[in-house]
Amino acid sequence: MPIDRQLLLLSTLAFLIGVVPAARALVSGNWRPSRQWIPMLIGFILQTGAVYYRGQAVGQCPMKSLSDILVFIAWSIVLLYFLVGPPYRVSLLGIFTAPLVTAMQVLAFLIPDAFPDYAAKSKIDPYVELHAALALVAYAAFALACITGVMYLLQERFLKKHHIGGLFYQLPPIQGLAKAIQKLVYLGLLLLSFSLVVSFKLNTPISNPKLIFAWAVWALYALIGVIMWRQVLSPRQTAWLAAVGFVIPFISLWLMTTHG
Amino acid sequence: MVDVEPIKNQLVCLGLNYRTTPVEVRERVAFPESKVPEAVQEVRALPGFEESVVLSTCNRVEIYSTHTHADAQQAQGELVKYVIQRFDLAPEQAEALVTYDLHAGEAARHLFRVVSGLDSMVLGETEIFGQVKAAYQVALAAGTTSRTLNKLFQQAFSVGKKVRNETTIQRGSTSVGSVAVDLAEKVHDLKECRVMLIGAGEMSRTCAQSLLSRGAKSIIVSNRSHDRAVELATEMGGTALKFDEWEAAMHEVDVIISSTSAPHFVIKPEQIQHVMKKRRWEPLLVIDIAVPRDVDPAVNGIEGVYLYDIDALQAIADSGRKEREKQLYACEQIIESQLTKYGFVE
Repeated sequence: MPIDRQLLLLSTLAFLIGVVPAARALVSGNWRPSRQWIPMLIGFILQTGAVYYRGQAVGQCPMKSLSDILVFIAWSIVLLYFLVGPPYRVSLLGIFTAPLVTAMQVLAFLIPDAFPDYAAKSKIDPYVELHAALALVAYAAFALACITGVMYLLQERFLKKHHIGGLFYQLPPIQGLAKAIQKLVYLGLLLLSFSLVVSFKLNTPISNPKLIFAWAVWALYALIGVIMWRQVLSPRQTAWLAAVGFVIPFISLWLMTTHG
Repeated sequence: MVDVEPIKNQLVCLGLNYRTTPVEVRERVAFPESKVPEAVQEVRALPGFEESVVLSTCNRVEIYSTHTHADAQQAQGELVKYVIQRFDLAPEQAEALVTYDLHAGEAARHLFRVVSGLDSMVLGETEIFGQVKAAYQVALAAGTTSRTLNKLFQQAFSVGKKVRNETTIQRGSTSVGSVAVDLAEKVHDLKECRVMLIGAGEMSRTCAQSLLSRGAKSIIVSNRSHDRAVELATEMGGTALKFDEWEAAMHEVDVIISSTSAPHFVIKPEQIQHVMKKRRWEPLLVIDIAVPRDVDPAVNGIEGVYLYDIDALQAIADSGRKEREKQLYACEQIIESQLTKYGFVE
């Protein structure tokens, strides 16, 4: 097994190790946020190594096959988790992030013809790489908005139904979660907008379906962003939008790689 | 584990607490904070005594000490005599003074339980940890601790942390006031939280004070008797509103605590719907402590509004207490294992 795959497998195990005891501790009501940090950091370091070695192996930023894209988004999600978690005091984000990242990496391994060898590019167009990288980090922001949306919906339900127990005490205030969702959607939208602006500067044309899907995702999140900004819907409804909305970029990735 | 035998033989604890002694006696023998440095010196100066720490809180007065007396009973007798003289107790008061006299491993077990909040009136409360730490610091600064008590108190702090880290003894709320705080914290950032009291009953005052002590930003009090509202607002550093003005100010607050004696609903869904439009979806916590209730239960159905009546608050507090009691066995197990580790029990 190539070194990138070995590192990826180890990082998947680190995330899994992080989530299983944390979930058990959470159910028993004895969960400590600090403990979640360690496996997430180890997983991230291994993941970074995996992306680096994969990039070396294919001679470009590894974002061409679905398995590579899944790994790159998973890496971006963990990166954003470290950037977003502490400032918003959403410490529990890790326990919700780890299962998603684990699932994405397991899926990356299970996809038929996973991690194919691509023909090395004779000349790398930096705008293409920038366009793709920005788009994938934007998708990671949408994924985190989705996770934060789920956290909001859980906490909102606990408060409404008077279910005051273990997880309730661990989750952040709903007001903070609502703000975090909003900021993550805006961040994703901003990154995706940059990515699409960069696409106008490309020397190497990219396929139409890819651009159409990217614009469709942008339009969807622009709509969600406007709804949030204008406060058309309640925070609970926007949390639903952020949680369910991520299905669209997720499907678009699959379509892009199979039809792109 | 070093020098276990001397610790076992020398350590003594004389104390009284809310279980053994009524408040009227406790307040008689409590050491004011400013007098504790003096007290630790006095205890150490007693014949045959080497070290001392004095812990004096509203719920307990305890003297931890080491001595060179051949008989532990003699050492404890000296301490009782000191307390009687120090507080100038009349013979009948001295007769009525009920203390617990613990030595060696029993004293260490007691200190470990105290630091862990297991001996507190509110099981698992965390304030006592800081109080013991402060008492130890005072003794340390006064130079009345040495090897034995330094080691014992360090071990006690480590046990207290272990109990809190490995169990959920401090989790959950055990009183209506602390439930209100927990709920407010899960809806808003408490530092930005504005509170409105409608009615100035004792329970609503307790809830409001709990919120303020945990950092709530501001408080507005409205009551049928405006004088009472002004009095309460002044006491809590808030502002008073006339009773016919609270409705107009409702959209400006994040937590409403209602406890009027009205025989009908004071807060109705249509009022809250109007408020929520003005609040632009900012969540609102409504705590209804009144019996009969002040708030129409239909209010809980409004988007972004979270309504808790007295039964809901009481049920949460009861469940919090039960959860803590469930943790008691695990805490005692930790303490016993640490007593064995430090050589207090075999």
